[in-house]
Amino acid sequence: MITFSFMVILPLLLHVSITMVMKNIFIQSLDKIPYEIWVFPGIVLTIASMSMYSIIYRDMFDLRIHKKSFLPMTLTPFTKTQLILGFLITSIIETTVYVLIAMGVLTILLPNSLDWSDYFIIPIFAFLYSFILGNIIITFSVLTDRVSTYIFTSVTMFLVIVFGSGILVEFEFYPKTIGIILSNLPLSMILTSLRGIIFFNRFDWTLIITPIVVAIVWTWMNGYLLKRKLRQ
Amino acid sequence: MEASITLKKVGKLIRDKTILASLTFGIERGSLVAIIGDNEAGKSMLLKVISGIEYQEFGHVYINGLDSKKRRLDIISSIGFVPHEIDLDPWLTLEQNVRFMGLMYGVDTETVNTRMIQLARELHIIPHLKKMVQDISPGIVKKGMILRALVHDPDILILDEPTAFMDVESYRHTWDLLLRLKGKKTMLYVSQSLSEVEEAHDRILVLEDGIITLDGSLDKLLGSTFDYHQFQIEFEELSEDLFQKLSKVPMVKNPSRIGNSIHFYGRERNVFFAVLNAAASAVMKDISVNKLGLQDLMDAKFARDGIH
Repeated sequence: MITFSFMVILPLLLHVSITMVMKNIFIQSLDKIPYEIWVFPGIVLTIASMSMYSIIYRDMFDLRIHKKSFLPMTLTPFTKTQLILGFLITSIIETTVYVLIAMGVLTILLPNSLDWSDYFIIPIFAFLYSFILGNIIITFSVLTDRVSTYIFTSVTMFLVIVFGSGILVEFEFYPKTIGIILSNLPLSMILTSLRGIIFFNRFDWTLIITPIVVAIVWTWMNGYLLKRKLRQ
Repeated sequence: MEASITLKKVGKLIRDKTILASLTFGIERGSLVAIIGDNEAGKSMLLKVISGIEYQEFGHVYINGLDSKKRRLDIISSIGFVPHEIDLDPWLTLEQNVRFMGLMYGVDTETVNTRMIQLARELHIIPHLKKMVQDISPGIVKKGMILRALVHDPDILILDEPTAFMDVESYRHTWDLLLRLKGKKTMLYVSQSLSEVEEAHDRILVLEDGIITLDGSLDKLLGSTFDYHQFQIEFEELSEDLFQKLSKVPMVKNPSRIGNSIHFYGRERNVFFAVLNAAASAVMKDISVNKLGLQDLMDAKFARDGIH
């Protein structure tokens, strides 16, 4: 119940502290889309990010460093890559529930609602986004053994993601070179692709296939890292 | 008999320190084997290597004839492991912990439930199944860990201090279960409680600095010490002169003093009378004579020297 309440309050907080403030600065995107509509997918993915951080901390990092039920899991008949995939899928499913709640709350606050099909598309992209982000978090969870280091790296990564993935501000506002680099990162590709579909009906396969390939390779790499870390 | 676990020249390093040194031995199917030794002897690491929690740097571990490195996924389900420290998820109930691991091993829900209830009944933890692990005392949780290790019905059960944190009743319930399983499952355990090992052994391995120094049944290990007895005499006042005088009595081995008591070993009973004669002028309060046990075997080097 506490988690549910929090997941209702969180989008409200983000709307008040980000959308309501930023819309007075940017008003609309460079393609003339009202800022609060343009930022909607970004806010949803920010909530997905926060959810993924906390779930992977709970299910993997905390259990591993405190030697609780993680080692017994590694003794079950699964490869390390399968275990990583299991952690990812369970955390993404939980995150998707939070994303749906957040979308519901944010929609009430929007002056113009999105097209009904967008409410199906956004969770699918949130799934893909969480797939990559989950892999990034799992890499840190495997390589880190101290809570303080985990929190430091998590906060740093979170800030880089929020300000460097086009969640709040368009890449055109960054210096040209930095904007090009940031827009070609896998997480940015997902957001660019998502906005392309819901605002312009523009579908770019490259922006979807690349993150999927990155996520699959990263999952395999995390399995290898875990195997090395556990010396199994 | 067929070997259930076989180690061939198994070596384990942590950084530059040798934890296990070229261990070679086999464990027969259905046997109950205890590993004892001092702290840092490598006992827990040996269990971790056999159970697959850690790989060895050198040599091979074979489980039911299959190489544990090359055929890990084939053999891992035949092992149940109970570590020393409590490692259940504290945010789940005991039942949820057990059920989760059962499902991870691919056991269907109905079978998990049947086994869980049967084993929980034997271990007397039915009332605790629905409780959160963080709210249960460590002794009960340890029994829950044994239950979890058995829920997928492994051929081999590996236990690190199986009765740690347990009261007398829990200790008895646990050993009742383990002894019932003896013969059906291969069981390998580490214990610091030598009385526990003396009570329920098939075979004992003594590990010292990563090397097995003794291997055999309790009778075999104590075989060459059967002639020895340990003696203890408590005096009203044991002066240093008297202690030195008694220590020099021929045939007195390893004399030591604790307060006003002298403790020593002797091969023949008449050493006792020789000491009594030498101490005739002092007032004695209590005397005791005991056969040697595992504790003495571990403590007194002279006793072990007789075996080699």
